[in-house]
Amino acid sequence: MSLLKKNWVKQALRLLRHELKRGELTIVVLAIVLGVASVFSLAGFSGKIKQALINESTSFIASDRVLQTSRPILFEQKPLEQKLAEQKSSENNLLTRNSMDKKSQQLDIKQAQQVLMSSMVFAGDNMQLVEIQAVSSGYPLRGELRVSFDNNLATNESVHAPKLGTVFIEEKLLSLLKVKLGDTLDIGEASFIIAGIATQIPDASFSVFTSGVKVLVNIDDIGATQLIQPGSRLTYKYLFSGDERDIKSLDDWFKPQVNDSQRWYDIQSKQSPLASALNKAEKYLSLASLLGIILAAVAVAVASRRYAEKHQSSVAVYKAMGASSTYIKKLYYLHWTLLSALSISLGLLLGYLLAQLGLYAIQDYLPVNVAIKDSATSFLTTLLTPLGFYPLIMAILTGVICSLAFAITPLKELVATSPLAVIRAANLGGSGASLSTKAFYFLPQLIALFLLLLLFSQELMLSFTLLIGGILVSALLLIFGRILMKVSRSVGTKSGAAWHLALANLQRRAKANSVQLVSFTLAIKLLLMIIVIKSSLLSEWQAQLPEQAPNLFLVNIAQTQVDKVEQFIDEQNIVASDLYAVIRGRLTAINDDKIVKEASKEENDGSDNGRQGVGRELSLTWRSHLPNENIIEQGTWWTDAKPQVSIEQGIAKRLKVKLGDNLTFQLGSEVITVPVTSIRKVNWQSMQPNFYMIFSPQVLADFPASYISSLHVTPPQKILIQRFLSTYPTISVIDVDAMIAQLRKVIGQVSIAVEFILVLVVFAGCLVLIAQVQASMEEREREIAILRTIGAKGSLLRNSVLLEFVALGAIAGLMASVAMELTVYLLQNYLFKMETSFHFEFWLLGILAGAGFVGLIGLLSCWRLLTMSSVTLIRRTM
Amino acid sequence: MKSNPEIILKTQSLAKIVTLEDKQLNLLHDVNLTVTAGQTIAIVGSSGSGKTTLLSILAGLDLPSSGEVYLKNKAMHQLNEEQRSQVRADHVGFIFQQFLLINSLTALENVMLPAELAHNDDAKKLALSLLAQVGLSARVNHFPAQLSGGEQQRVAIARAFITKPDILFADEPTGNLDKQTSEHIADLLFDLNKQFGTTLVLVSHDLTLAQRCQRQVEMRDGKLIDTQSSVKETSVQTEQIA
Repeated sequence: MSLLKKNWVKQALRLLRHELKRGELTIVVLAIVLGVASVFSLAGFSGKIKQALINESTSFIASDRVLQTSRPILFEQKPLEQKLAEQKSSENNLLTRNSMDKKSQQLDIKQAQQVLMSSMVFAGDNMQLVEIQAVSSGYPLRGELRVSFDNNLATNESVHAPKLGTVFIEEKLLSLLKVKLGDTLDIGEASFIIAGIATQIPDASFSVFTSGVKVLVNIDDIGATQLIQPGSRLTYKYLFSGDERDIKSLDDWFKPQVNDSQRWYDIQSKQSPLASALNKAEKYLSLASLLGIILAAVAVAVASRRYAEKHQSSVAVYKAMGASSTYIKKLYYLHWTLLSALSISLGLLLGYLLAQLGLYAIQDYLPVNVAIKDSATSFLTTLLTPLGFYPLIMAILTGVICSLAFAITPLKELVATSPLAVIRAANLGGSGASLSTKAFYFLPQLIALFLLLLLFSQELMLSFTLLIGGILVSALLLIFGRILMKVSRSVGTKSGAAWHLALANLQRRAKANSVQLVSFTLAIKLLLMIIVIKSSLLSEWQAQLPEQAPNLFLVNIAQTQVDKVEQFIDEQNIVASDLYAVIRGRLTAINDDKIVKEASKEENDGSDNGRQGVGRELSLTWRSHLPNENIIEQGTWWTDAKPQVSIEQGIAKRLKVKLGDNLTFQLGSEVITVPVTSIRKVNWQSMQPNFYMIFSPQVLADFPASYISSLHVTPPQKILIQRFLSTYPTISVIDVDAMIAQLRKVIGQVSIAVEFILVLVVFAGCLVLIAQVQASMEEREREIAILRTIGAKGSLLRNSVLLEFVALGAIAGLMASVAMELTVYLLQNYLFKMETSFHFEFWLLGILAGAGFVGLIGLLSCWRLLTMSSVTLIRRTM
Repeated sequence: MKSNPEIILKTQSLAKIVTLEDKQLNLLHDVNLTVTAGQTIAIVGSSGSGKTTLLSILAGLDLPSSGEVYLKNKAMHQLNEEQRSQVRADHVGFIFQQFLLINSLTALENVMLPAELAHNDDAKKLALSLLAQVGLSARVNHFPAQLSGGEQQRVAIARAFITKPDILFADEPTGNLDKQTSEHIADLLFDLNKQFGTTLVLVSHDLTLAQRCQRQVEMRDGKLIDTQSSVKETSVQTEQIA
């Protein structure tokens, strides 16, 4: 209470109340509010979106992390003495189920297990080779296993592992084995009741080479089948899911323990189209957020400087009346603190509303696909949970850092105002500061900006690059802007009176204007950048999933069936890739070196950290022409008839294979050795059959092969295909419609997120522009008053003000476009790893938008001045 | 009423030199001035003669390059900014040509300000009564922008007297006002000054105003000439003093 009675507290509150009411602090408040609101909503919204996306996409691996291994992780069953001895001797690094369970329990992480194997299953007289997927009761941890319990697949529900003694099978097995629900299926030594038809298996492999039909059994039943024998080829998957932070801790715990025969992965480390889209979206969201923060910070910097300038005369009066420096400090620091606190609170409120609004908007515009409608609801439940502490803390920190660091120097200057300023107004403003003083002036701001960037991106290099790049660009712009203004002046002398006056004004205020110009330019540049990258990201994603993207793969087509299949495809006008021959073979030697361990496997979705034993089979093919989406990086595609092979660059690097090396393959009983004549870059994200090794036709043409093809089929065509294939039961179909739909949905969500953030960044940009225009308002007021007094017509003044801002905006727009082009080129090349391109159409947008917007804001801001009577104007300013 | 003819303000060999673009300018040169309590004194002179510079040093807003200033026996030339502030708070009042009201405070709050700085609990009561004296009772809650120039200066006068200062410095108090308003403001100023017995140091180029003071001194090229007659020689200036 006693504090409230203190005069400086009373006066600070009084000043704040009046100034807020009179709108004198609006720009400062808006700048901080927007900074805080954009960080809060960006962090909250993009955090939610990311979480939702990851939840959505982790369903592709049915968990957050997977430990995959060919040998089971066992429970430790050792006598006590041995354990003690081991503990004594050294830290035992061997991964055990005990330690895994203990760690998971510690971190509150859910677990599930899977065992995968190929096996024959029998139903009466029929048999079929299938992929057995034995799952524990927790499966799936992410995503949904949807099973239909009626033969017509009319309904389906989300379930976990099948009950003991039952199995879920994929639909095609019904026709292959001529069975229906409730029938018995024999697997190994055990019999199971077919309880349901799996319509969606979250981690169903998206590889055209895993053609097996899936049968899901309960992991506790696997013993009864007696399928697990010494030498059986099995894959064990241990699935984990939990909170982001806990999963990160689990990552840290697991990574050092994972050995060569084990793989530890998440969705992002999979080289799938989805992971790639996710990665880019995430980078974009963070980048956009960073740029938003920079813009908001610039707005705070400009506004706080103006705040200090506006209050200088009051401080001088206070001091002349005998207020001590301490008193002034207390008064104005409190005033600023209250103002910041108020603005931060308003910012948090607005940010929360914006984030919720964004989430709400997504709720309405979600690209809901009928097939995946149900999973959309789960997506929304994720969204509607509270935003969490991270965005809140980030936003408050942003507000505090902005309002402290960006205001500290202007505030210090403010409280140091000499009382003499009451007599000599010229002393205001502290003009004529030396360059080093100016550098010192900006130092706290730069440090703050760096801190903000680091805080938000948690990437040292990115923050540093953005900062240094920003400083360099600003310096260059400053110089360039002055030159441009000088040039425009000499052009202006040849044009009409309004233009002449406008350009003369521009140049006269060159120093102030070039600072304004830099911030206009930076604002426009950042906006252009966000728009350009957004549009190229979206078009890249769309290109990846064109309307006619293959949604069906035909696999295992026998040589004798090729003509029939081709004929059918032609007759039905189905869009299809060529038929590719697939011949299984092992790479056994590179030059004279026998391969000991490392080889590739195409079965694993092309993920590149897989390590397989000696002689793992590869799917090989032969072509006379280079397939689409393949680019020769080294060597040349064959034109002659010599035996040779073209190798994919990733595997070439891994195997250290160079042009000219001889590769030896074993195909059945035959051994062939061919030289590498080209190294190819393959777009693994294209939905078409892709191969590590492509041979020249002469090498493989005589080997027995099966064929695969990818097709784009419409729903009616799909029925025709099913009918057609019923005559060729050995041909397998892989339907990726559901997966494509899911991918489209994810990309749709990302796009909306990206647009939302764009809107926020545009707001921040506009605010910088407004704050800058406002900053020069008093000087303009004086000038307009003088011009009015000497008889300048209203229309001349209006036009000259408009044209001055238009010219300023156009110059800023042009410079922004050049700067944007450069930055986007670097970003696309290094950050997004996209095809680079030029965007001249956006240059025009930059210039026009710059001229239009800056002109409009300038004119609107000065409108009141321009329409005032001369007497009022003079009275206000004299 | 302060009837004791003590010396309230005294300068000795005051000089102010500034360096502008490598050139030394002698703004004040050997200024000796003594003002006794309750005296009203006008400093006149042409533009650039050093009137305002002198005023700012006398009031402790600025420091001399050499020489001595004593205000209420305090050696102002030896005090730092903070200590001079305290002297101003305790003894000095101001009226400026530009009024210098704080735009975001009402008339009442502007007047209360110095009293609050001096921890006077009756600030509001005093301010209301002073505003009534200057005829602004009806406008106490108006902001400066809502007041005319004359009204703003009346608020400034009320503000200057609220702490009953020992000495009041007025820098061209009517410089921004029309003739009629100027006369009214001058009446108010001298009436209140008489009422409170304040020492008044007035800087002006308005000779009519200067002649209402008991004593006139003239600044000429940074030097002080303390003669009644010199006032008459000074031509009437119409331009504003920078």
